[in-house]
Amino acid sequence: MYFSDVGIISLILATGFAILAIALSIVGALRQQTPLVASAKRSVLAVTFFLMLASASLIISFLTHDFGLSYVAQHSSLSMPWYFTASAFYGGQEGSLLYWALMLSVFSAIFVITSKRAPAALVPYVTATLMAIQIFFLIMLITVSSPFVRLPVPLADGVGLNPLLMDPGMLVHPPMLLMGYMSFSVPFAFAVAAMITGQLGSEWLRSIRRWMLAAWAIQTTGLILGAWWAYHVLGWGGYWGWDPVENAALFPWLTATAFLHSTMVQERRGMLKIWNLSLVFLSFALSIFGTFEVRSGIISSVHSFAYSAIGSYFLVFLAIVVLFSIGIFIFRLPKLRPEQEFDSALSREGSFLLNNFLLLGVTFATLWGTLFPLISQAVTHSTLTVGPPFYEQVNGPIFLALLLAMGIGPLLAWRRTSTRTLWRNLSLPAFAAALCAAVLPLLGVRNVWANVAFAVCAFTAGAILYEVWRGVRVRHKHGEAYPIALFMLVNRYRQRYGGYIVHLGFVLLAVGVIGSNFFQSQKDAVLAPGQSVNISGYQLIYLGNVDEKYPDVEIITAQLQVWHNGQLQQYIYPARQFYANYSNQPASQISITTYDLTDLYVFLANWNGLSQATIRVFVNPLVTLVWLGGVVMLFGGIICWWPERKRRKRSVSSENESVEATLAVARPAEDEQTSRPARQEEEATL
Amino acid sequence: MKRRNALLLIIVVVVILAAIWLYVLLLAPSRETLDQREYDVGSQLKCLVCQGESVADSPATLSLQMRAIIRQQLQEGKSEQQIIQYFQSRYGNQILWSPPKQGFTLLAWIIPIAMLIGGALLLILVLRGWLVGARTPKSATDDGNDWDEEHEEHIDRTDLAQFRTRLEQELAADDPMYARLSKEVSS
Repeated sequence: MYFSDVGIISLILATGFAILAIALSIVGALRQQTPLVASAKRSVLAVTFFLMLASASLIISFLTHDFGLSYVAQHSSLSMPWYFTASAFYGGQEGSLLYWALMLSVFSAIFVITSKRAPAALVPYVTATLMAIQIFFLIMLITVSSPFVRLPVPLADGVGLNPLLMDPGMLVHPPMLLMGYMSFSVPFAFAVAAMITGQLGSEWLRSIRRWMLAAWAIQTTGLILGAWWAYHVLGWGGYWGWDPVENAALFPWLTATAFLHSTMVQERRGMLKIWNLSLVFLSFALSIFGTFEVRSGIISSVHSFAYSAIGSYFLVFLAIVVLFSIGIFIFRLPKLRPEQEFDSALSREGSFLLNNFLLLGVTFATLWGTLFPLISQAVTHSTLTVGPPFYEQVNGPIFLALLLAMGIGPLLAWRRTSTRTLWRNLSLPAFAAALCAAVLPLLGVRNVWANVAFAVCAFTAGAILYEVWRGVRVRHKHGEAYPIALFMLVNRYRQRYGGYIVHLGFVLLAVGVIGSNFFQSQKDAVLAPGQSVNISGYQLIYLGNVDEKYPDVEIITAQLQVWHNGQLQQYIYPARQFYANYSNQPASQISITTYDLTDLYVFLANWNGLSQATIRVFVNPLVTLVWLGGVVMLFGGIICWWPERKRRKRSVSSENESVEATLAVARPAEDEQTSRPARQEEEATL
Repeated sequence: MKRRNALLLIIVVVVILAAIWLYVLLLAPSRETLDQREYDVGSQLKCLVCQGESVADSPATLSLQMRAIIRQQLQEGKSEQQIIQYFQSRYGNQILWSPPKQGFTLLAWIIPIAMLIGGALLLILVLRGWLVGARTPKSATDDGNDWDEEHEEHIDRTDLAQFRTRLEQELAADDPMYARLSKEVSS
């Protein structure tokens, strides 16, 4: 009896409980018997338990180096440190599918445990949908893609992990991204449940919104970590290559972003129901497409670490999902009538439509670019590549328009905007844009597109900050100090101000992308000790190489000095590592040093003995802002997502509440005079 | 008056912006170094022995050789387009980092643009359909701005009171302090 046997038995039991959960919840819902639904919930918890057991048995097999297990032998070796050995769990296809299923079961458990908050009629159908998705993955794991297949003869040592994956980024990036893909299942399940029951009320909208926001935040983290991993490992000085797999991760993120915006129209005005539901279905279908594309190998990519035949199974699953979604739509179409009419194109809802149009424009252009090689192959039988220049030329202008709309949109009111207020609110950001455009050429920025893009960033940042400032000012008049006013404003209107923080983060990210795209400089040099290379004001003096040999890995390190403005800044050590099992794939240790917002990126491309090195140096201005912007976006997303007051009301002596109360008692006279007009003014500016 | 000032300001700003961008585009000299031009050409060619890298980005020997050819041809005075065609004639379409804008592969470029235009038209049609459904015929006067102002005045007297009560109710749901206040007002 091996641990892997526990794993396979757990998977089979999990499948059984998943089927049971579906049966119980559907029968319970149809006959309206709550005990059955409660049993279904417990079955979901059992599925979670058995998937945890299966995952634990795989991890234990890794840590105990059970090389009789094919998956362990292929993805780890005795010499790997324990953390990479454990993370090899999701290093291959079988393990990553198990991880997907595990995360889905954990999310299902979280849903079941918190299901009191969701509309009761929907719960059984959400459960059933989640378990149906789960069953697909479980069947894959038991039949065609099992991580628990044993070898006839155990190996003495494993093959080890691809060196590209032996990186700290590997510990966090793939699990985040897989979890991101998985997390679109919950909104999908909510959408299916709403379609079956016909209940698409405000309560449903709140639930689905929060789950979608969670998925969005996870996917954002996965994308940023992926970019960071690429930047630190791949050695071409960039962080986003429009690789098919990167694109695939971007698709559900884009459609989820579109959903989070257009759903506000539904919340306020009861419109766009069909559209919002299609965005949920689309997000889920695209996330399945993403999971499938990484593994299928139909499109060549830097991420294709594992090819296999499971692609066709995923294709069938994807087809089922799409057909099911379309069918359920046709079934429910009569119930999905808008409650209110549209008043004016120049309104908040109009700007959300524009937002959706642009986001879907990026999605379809990118999808088209990703699939075009396949189409071309089928039609003309010639291979071709759709590389970054295509995406930059097509998506660049759309993103720029999106950035501009991001500045104008929040200034528009619901229903209809008076042009007077609009012009007034636009003038300050427009001034900021003009100032930015005028100053940049003086600073030596001569590229007109960079100038346009930076000016748009200045406009949007100006518009958002001005908007926040107006809110803070009103609260300040109301008697609060500025920092408190800012905090209270964000705390009170979390969705709105969390959204602004996300937008500010996106502007920062855009500035970083523009800076590093337009102003990157690059140099290759072959150096002997004492020789130096100059780039953008930095001087690198080469000192020599060091060769360290360990039993399983050989590390060649080049030593260089960095000089800037006549001063020695520091020593840097770009290196290459040769793992014994992957000697033709040297991993690189790139030296990245950050001076203010500029990265000095040094990659050891080649070497000859101990006294010659070919280095490739990049100077990447503003790259730091990409990471900073990503963190800010995530922070804003969390603020939007953070649970609403409901819970605070229940707890009697919550701090915020008592402070509010004393505030109100302390200044009753003042309040009555100032707070009402102040409040109205505040709301009017919003 | 104020509105006209703000509008004027924005027009002035837009004119200034256009002037700056035109100036940068037309008058600022293009100071591209040979390195930059070599990089520009190289970044449009695909490295054939790498995964997902352009010739400009790749450290492979083949790419180094190709970059040397690019540099040499640039020094001979060939245009970027001519150099790319030179490589295309030797290696075929697979050397190109993005599909050529001719023949069948022109579709790669046209479809996204066509979809965007189609989407925009659809959006306008949908919006118009909604607007026609929502607006009363009398509002369809020629001058939209005048109508806006007139309409606002109208709102001031009648709708605003209603709107205010609704707003207060919504605010009261959010804010305990405000709830107290609006209760006092209504009583």
